[in-house]
Amino acid sequence: MNQTPETPADQSKRDFLQIVLGGASAAFLAAVLYPIFEYLKPPKQAEVEVSSVKAGKLSEIEKDSGKIIKFGSKPVILIRTANDELRAFSATCTHLDCTVQYRKDYGTIWCACHNGKYDLNGRNISGPPPRPLEEYRVVLQGDEILISKKV
Amino acid sequence: MKTFLKKMYDWVDERVELKGLVDYMGKKYVPVHRHSVWYYFGGVSLFLFIIQVVTGILLLLYYKSGEELAFESIHFIMSKVQFGWLIRSIHSWTANLFILSAMIHMFSVYFEKSYRKPREITWMTGMLMFFLLLGFGFSGYLLPWNELAFFATKVGTDIAGVVPVVGKPLMIFLRGGDDVTGATLSRFFGFHVAVLPGIFTVFLGIHLLLVQRQGMSEPLHWKEDPEQKTMPFFPNFLLRDISLWLLVLNLLAILAVFFPWELGKKADAFAPAPAGIKPEWYFLYMFQTLKFIPGKLWILDGEVLGIGLFGAAGVLWTLVPFWDLKSARGEQNRLANYLGLFAVIYIIILTIIGWLA
Amino acid sequence: MKHFSLSLIFTFLLILHLQARGQDQCFECHKNAEDNPSKLFDHDIHHQKGITCAGCHGGNSQTDDMEQAMNKKAGFIGRPQGDDISRVCASCHGSQEKMKYFGSSLPTNQWKNLQTSIHAKPALKGKEQIVQCTTCHNAHGIVSVKNPSSPVYPLNVVKTCARCHADVAFMRSYNPSLPVDQLEKYRTSVHGMRNGKGDPKTAQCASCHGSHNIRAVKDVKSNVYFSNLPGTCAKCHSNTAYMKEYKIPTDQYEKYAKSVHGIAVLQKHDPGAPACNNCHGNHGAMPPGIESISKVCGTCHALNAELFASSPHKKAFEERKLPECETCHSNHEIVAATDKLLGTAPEAVCSRCHSAVQNPNGYLAAKVMRGLIDTMENREEYAKELVDEADQKGMDISDAKFKLRDIRQARLQSRTMVHAFNEAKFEEVVDNGLKTADFVISESQSSIHEYFFRRIGLAVSTIIITILALALYAFVRRLERKKNEVNK
Repeated sequence: MNQTPETPADQSKRDFLQIVLGGASAAFLAAVLYPIFEYLKPPKQAEVEVSSVKAGKLSEIEKDSGKIIKFGSKPVILIRTANDELRAFSATCTHLDCTVQYRKDYGTIWCACHNGKYDLNGRNISGPPPRPLEEYRVVLQGDEILISKKV
Repeated sequence: MKTFLKKMYDWVDERVELKGLVDYMGKKYVPVHRHSVWYYFGGVSLFLFIIQVVTGILLLLYYKSGEELAFESIHFIMSKVQFGWLIRSIHSWTANLFILSAMIHMFSVYFEKSYRKPREITWMTGMLMFFLLLGFGFSGYLLPWNELAFFATKVGTDIAGVVPVVGKPLMIFLRGGDDVTGATLSRFFGFHVAVLPGIFTVFLGIHLLLVQRQGMSEPLHWKEDPEQKTMPFFPNFLLRDISLWLLVLNLLAILAVFFPWELGKKADAFAPAPAGIKPEWYFLYMFQTLKFIPGKLWILDGEVLGIGLFGAAGVLWTLVPFWDLKSARGEQNRLANYLGLFAVIYIIILTIIGWLA
Repeated sequence: MKHFSLSLIFTFLLILHLQARGQDQCFECHKNAEDNPSKLFDHDIHHQKGITCAGCHGGNSQTDDMEQAMNKKAGFIGRPQGDDISRVCASCHGSQEKMKYFGSSLPTNQWKNLQTSIHAKPALKGKEQIVQCTTCHNAHGIVSVKNPSSPVYPLNVVKTCARCHADVAFMRSYNPSLPVDQLEKYRTSVHGMRNGKGDPKTAQCASCHGSHNIRAVKDVKSNVYFSNLPGTCAKCHSNTAYMKEYKIPTDQYEKYAKSVHGIAVLQKHDPGAPACNNCHGNHGAMPPGIESISKVCGTCHALNAELFASSPHKKAFEERKLPECETCHSNHEIVAATDKLLGTAPEAVCSRCHSAVQNPNGYLAAKVMRGLIDTMENREEYAKELVDEADQKGMDISDAKFKLRDIRQARLQSRTMVHAFNEAKFEEVVDNGLKTADFVISESQSSIHEYFFRRIGLAVSTIIITILALALYAFVRRLERKKNEVNK
């Protein structure tokens, strides 16, 4: 439809070309503007979530408590012990991959699936878990807690 | 519809005398010859600049600078914002095509000797814009705060720090401290979205104004052409330009969909540097050269020598209108041609070596 | 070197002794003196084989002149000290030739084995090792292990070991945390009770721990190291001929090796999994009673035991005298529990008691619960497939992937929750999992849609842009052509 004729353009051809030009321009504008307008629409989740690796502020985590932190697509458990030490372990139970939690009453890391327990060094001390939890590194930058993989 | 547009035009014309400008543009001709194709790269570069401005502004709406949010916000743009993946990929791909197109534009101008009198200022503003572009590339690369960018920036600013006397303060100025940290990120963000665009726009204004004012440069060989064919700038050349821009846009869309720009892993200052850290391709030839220069050359430090040589070459290149007097007189300057050829071949070979290394 | 010279001396002594057979003057005198060693030595197997005092003590046993007989220059060493005690024994017991000479087919590796054992660690005083041959076998009056008066005869060995191992003060000086009540516990075990009644066939200390080569429990080469233990028990318990008179099955090991616990211990060497002793006890080994099974299993499977204890089944099992865990999961051959155990199908354990006619409530509950757990499994599978697909298409779905774990967790928890045998509680857990699954499925579905949308969108816009570019180009060409005509 866009072939240029050898002979001088006749009226109908010109009209056709103009229609194509006009239509294509309009479609082009739509094709460019649609993504831009969509982009400008506020997304479902309105804002970026705070980083997984930054585990929040020290003041936000109580003594003798634990917190699950998203580390990539895996959970990490951050524990502030009763003696005010910070520790982080993989929160994936080594038994059957459930997510573990900190139990204040036991003073251990506990897995709800089969009652596996780990001490605060990540060692499996009771129940079915066969291996200790992998430890993560915790660094304190000011008030900010930073969790990273142990090298 | 047509009459309404006409009325609008007349209304404006009455006040700011558009007619003169349109007539002026209508009088501008583009020489038609076997190297005419190179004229298009200036326009393509301009188009890519416009895309960068538009997509850059769009990214600004969601991007958050800062060590803890930069990576996450890009991830957010890529996964949560409608068409965020498209905007970001286009911005990244355009950055690369922009530098490529600007390079082609620069070399074509160089080989056509279009920098000769009276276009020295056009050439120099162009060169300055090219350096600014490299600055855009370097600063923009860090903004996603991923592992590769983090270490590339570390290496890049380290190299800057080698320069005698000014190097150390320059490095600290760039990094906003002794090391690449969140402070560097904030700084680079500032450069990328405020400082560089501001300066760039000034130069671009001068550059475009001069191109319009002085018209297209006629190459030396064109003078000898018996036909001396031309084409009106408006609308013929401009419309051809726009057709090409559309094809470039097509290319960008395809690249963005099929090769979405990767985000990689979040930067971790404590992690060991990943193997095979490389700068972006447009810095690769310099990076590779510095690798080849031995650590100690005679009494000079190898790196300092390399940086010195590149600095000198850049200055020499920028000042070509002032030392290439032959071209200004309308004579062939073989030396300039050989130098240019050497530069092209050198850059291509070293880039390939760096790429394969 | 010392070793070598010692054995030279003993070889020499042996030759001397052989010349003097039947003329053991040392023994004659000492016997007349009625001292204890000579009394014991009288019925010593070595004495019966014709070995004289000089065989171990050196000197010349042919002469009755004490000066001459106990002349240190003639090789008299008196009472061997420290490790030399064992070396004296080993000079014969470590040599096949010598043992053959005396017509013995005993093994000759005892000294070597003893040296690798935990008993070869240095004693508190001196450089010698803790245990010498004489510690267990005595010095004079040694008889064959088959002789009921031997301290290492199966019925006696428990007391011999206990001489040290039940001595709190003694054990404290070496390993304060090691229990000292093994013998006491042993006497309560089936093994110990039979042993006490005079059955030399049942297991005693040496049957499991070995005799000369005893190693610490944590030593991987120990017979009682957790992953070697089932094999050790099986030495007797899988021996049909040996066990015949006891009339108990001998297929426990075979079954155990196939069980989830056996695979974990024997193949995966998982120290968290139970070997025989974790359920039966070690020194006090005995099959757990019906009422205590759930307690034993509950030491590891605590949550399941807890839930079971509060479930309606608790009472029902008690009334019918059914062993708690074992009724559904069996004992030695516990295979990994699957969802198949639940429900009303013939292979499901519920259907053994609950039938549609006799016990419709339980039958229905089992049916519903199985249905729920199957639904959850299907949904999880489906969610996984979609996540994989979206992943392969290069879409970013880290959120959905993260949640995928929660579905699995809900499924595992629901399997635990089964033990409460309470439909409402069970549904709560399942609902959680199903909700998560729905989220993951819809997330990854929209990702996959997005993938196709991008490609279609690209195709449409590419076509539009290309048409526009070509139309523009055609327009320019026409302009130029018109102009050319005008010019002409």
